[in-house]
Amino acid sequence: MFAILRDLFRYKREFRVGAILTMFIAVFASLSFVSPYPPQDQFVVQPDLPPSWAYWFGTTSRGQDVFWQLSFAIRNTMLFGLAVAILSRIISIAIGMWSGYMGGFVDRVLMSINDTFIVIPLFPLLVLFYFVMRDKMSWPLLALAMALLGWAYDARLIRSLALSLKMREFTQQSVFSGMRTSEIVLQEHLPYVLPIVFYTTMNNMNWSVGLEVTLSVLGFTNIDTPTIGVMIYWANQHTALVAGIWWWIFFPVLFVVILFIGLFLLAISMNEYIDPRSRLARMGGMHG
Amino acid sequence: MSAAPALQANVASERALTVSNLRAYYQTKYFGISREVRAVDGVSLVIDRDEIYGLAGESSCGKTTLVKTIVRAIRPPLNVIDGSVSFRFAGCEHDIYTLGEAELTGLRWKHLSYILQGSMNVLNPVRRVRESFIDFAYRHIKRPMPEFLRFVENHLARLRLDPAVLDNFPHELSGGMRQRVTIALASVCRPDFIVADEPTTALDVVVQKDVLGLLREVQREIRSSMILVTHDIGVHANVTDRLGVMYAGRLVEEGRTVEVIRSSRHPYTAHLVSSLPRIGDATQKKGLEGSPPNLAAPPPGCRFHPRCPLAMDVCRKEHPPMVVVAAEHRVACWATAPP
Repeated sequence: MFAILRDLFRYKREFRVGAILTMFIAVFASLSFVSPYPPQDQFVVQPDLPPSWAYWFGTTSRGQDVFWQLSFAIRNTMLFGLAVAILSRIISIAIGMWSGYMGGFVDRVLMSINDTFIVIPLFPLLVLFYFVMRDKMSWPLLALAMALLGWAYDARLIRSLALSLKMREFTQQSVFSGMRTSEIVLQEHLPYVLPIVFYTTMNNMNWSVGLEVTLSVLGFTNIDTPTIGVMIYWANQHTALVAGIWWWIFFPVLFVVILFIGLFLLAISMNEYIDPRSRLARMGGMHG
Repeated sequence: MSAAPALQANVASERALTVSNLRAYYQTKYFGISREVRAVDGVSLVIDRDEIYGLAGESSCGKTTLVKTIVRAIRPPLNVIDGSVSFRFAGCEHDIYTLGEAELTGLRWKHLSYILQGSMNVLNPVRRVRESFIDFAYRHIKRPMPEFLRFVENHLARLRLDPAVLDNFPHELSGGMRQRVTIALASVCRPDFIVADEPTTALDVVVQKDVLGLLREVQREIRSSMILVTHDIGVHANVTDRLGVMYAGRLVEEGRTVEVIRSSRHPYTAHLVSSLPRIGDATQKKGLEGSPPNLAAPPPGCRFHPRCPLAMDVCRKEHPPMVVVAAEHRVACWATAPP
């Protein structure tokens, strides 16, 4: 595993850039553990200072250092996106592959549940969720809710792959050989599906972080825990852009964009490692 | 009323497979409309140990369905309606449709292996060949893993395949190579019975010759029995001992391959054989009018009668029984082999 990562880093530019960007964000997020101020404290520094040597990213109108606030915010946002992606991947892989492979009645039941989740309007539901939970609202809870709502599209995608894999000769051979259904799905089909899963993971994180930002900006989350969205919410509350405190919004947006680009590059370069055909296609005339 | 007397075949040699009166239909039901495609309809045959049995016939005549049914690699909508398939392995009869799943898995690979149609694609494209061997065959050879891998390497070497292919992905191998690896995979446990469904169809003739040679060699070495399905009569002439010709889900003629080709009795077989090109023969080949019947609604009587130049009244009404016309040669035709 280490050798794979080392080779990817050495020979693949996309992976190198992606890894550096993601590491940069990760290191920055881990700085939150050594922050001199707790994230909720206000007026610990002089408010509304522009970026300077003392305060690299400036200070907010609430008297917080943007640098340290942002380290908490990016950490929470990253964990939030990861949590949603992992949880919803588990659901979509399980349902998609099972449904596609079993077919028939199982498929009909699972896909009608699936389609229900596709047509449910997410945003009003999440707002409603906030009003029900109110004070008990936290980002892990929101992540759980979004994971339960965000698997359906990808489950359909994975099911369509599983449907075609089921008809392939090597599946017939596996059945003939006496492999159990779970073995066929996990050993024979899962490697085929993983590249797609990698892509959808990225997509899903994009979606969940974006929706989290939207909810936070409107104040429909726990606004005491700093996330990228919550930072923008407070900046808005203090009319930062009108007051010319641009650094309060600029740095959160910049960092979340860097995170996206880094993860995206990682996802596509990993995919080429996992999928032997595209790996060889890149090698061009090397094999024969 | 099918051919009980013909089943006597060769008493001296040991019987490996007995199929009697097998019927397998594709049964579907959508929107209240039931449909039944009679892909295999009353087939009886026996195959001896150490014998290569060929199955011929044009597309959609039920060859693949028949062998799928024989090895019990069927799934809905294909259902077996009637008849039995019984293998004889190590002096013990196994009726394949009364066995439980576990017993069936125990027979497969060790005694009975199946080279699927389109078998170049039985290797999972995202797994190395070694992993495919492990996935498919390991459970059938009860040995520790290092010994199993050594065993596989020896087997490949015996078939003159470079054991280095184990580290390749299937797409890195050529079609012929993949086919050879598939044959190695099917024969790794030295099975008593091999069913090969169109093993050479997608290959060019040079590679085809190699692959057939390999199959033959494997069969000779293990002294197994084999069913070889192909629509290519030329292949049958070269490889098989006995030949069964199928038309529209039924066996219409069966006998020693040489005899069936040289003195075919059924008009369908005669047409099939006469379609073979011969070197030096410049005459125009005559095609047979029409196409095989819709098996969801086969014609009454002999299923070949709408295309048959010799069709008589009785052909339209009654299905002809299999009649023994010479030693080991049976035919189902009212015109050329009246009972």
